Amino acid sequence: MAGQQLSLAEAGRKRGNSALWWGLLFTVLGLLSNFLYFVVKAGQRTFPWINLIVPALGLVLLFIGLKRAFGQSQIYRGKIWGSIASALALLLFAGSIWGFFHARAVPRSAGAPQVGQHLPDFTLPDTGGQPVSLAQLLSGIGGPGQPKALLLIFYRGYW
Amino acid sequence: MRGVQKDLPEFQAEGIRPVAISVDSPDVSATLCQKAGYSFTFLSDPKAEVIRRYDLLHVGGGPGGHDISRPAEFLVDRSGTVRWENFTEDVRIRPRADEMLAAARNIQ
Repeated sequence: MAGQQLSLAEAGRKRGNSALWWGLLFTVLGLLSNFLYFVVKAGQRTFPWINLIVPALGLVLLFIGLKRAFGQSQIYRGKIWGSIASALALLLFAGSIWGFFHARAVPRSAGAPQVGQHLPDFTLPDTGGQPVSLAQLLSGIGGPGQPKALLLIFYRGYW
Repeated sequence: MRGVQKDLPEFQAEGIRPVAISVDSPDVSATLCQKAGYSFTFLSDPKAEVIRRYDLLHVGGGPGGHDISRPAEFLVDRSGTVRWENFTEDVRIRPRADEMLAAARNIQ
């Protein structure tokens, strides 16, 4: 009891434990980094390591912070809030890993039209609700003239 | 698509017409175009009919488990033949607009 009171009295003079703060910050940034877009050369096999490295760095920093808080508790603060921050960071880290692999769970689309193949015609409404066909687009209707080519961009939607 | 909008004059000068397609309704697409300043054609495939026919369907890939399109880009010439295409393996990774422009320049 006396020892506990002594340590409470000393608490004001203990050093801060910034590794815990940085660790939590990095795990938050790690989660958010999955919303970044990387614009690269087409077909280039890019593995976005940064989305894994940032949250992993967060965990390393939290580990250092916790080791200080518990191993050198006479010097460093952070036993209680460091534990809470670490629990939160673990959840954020799990979220980052899920987000990381979720972003890579794209279907293979083996049956998609290939280079050299003829694209089957379609008719779909434009933003005004007017039906537009591929043939119309190729012939230049609703545009400045007949285009040399169309760049069809299929995107995920739900912005 | 931001990159395409930014380079739109170059695409148009090259005779390339960009067309964006998703499961978003015409209203949603109209709002997106207005907000993001997209001035090229946007088409809606809410039932994912064309997306499914082209094998681009990402089952349950959207919010709330909705079926959406996977990201994919095609350059289609006047005869309707695919001349260039790109299928990303990661939704965070997209092709550069200048590269699509370079691919378009190879089409006569």
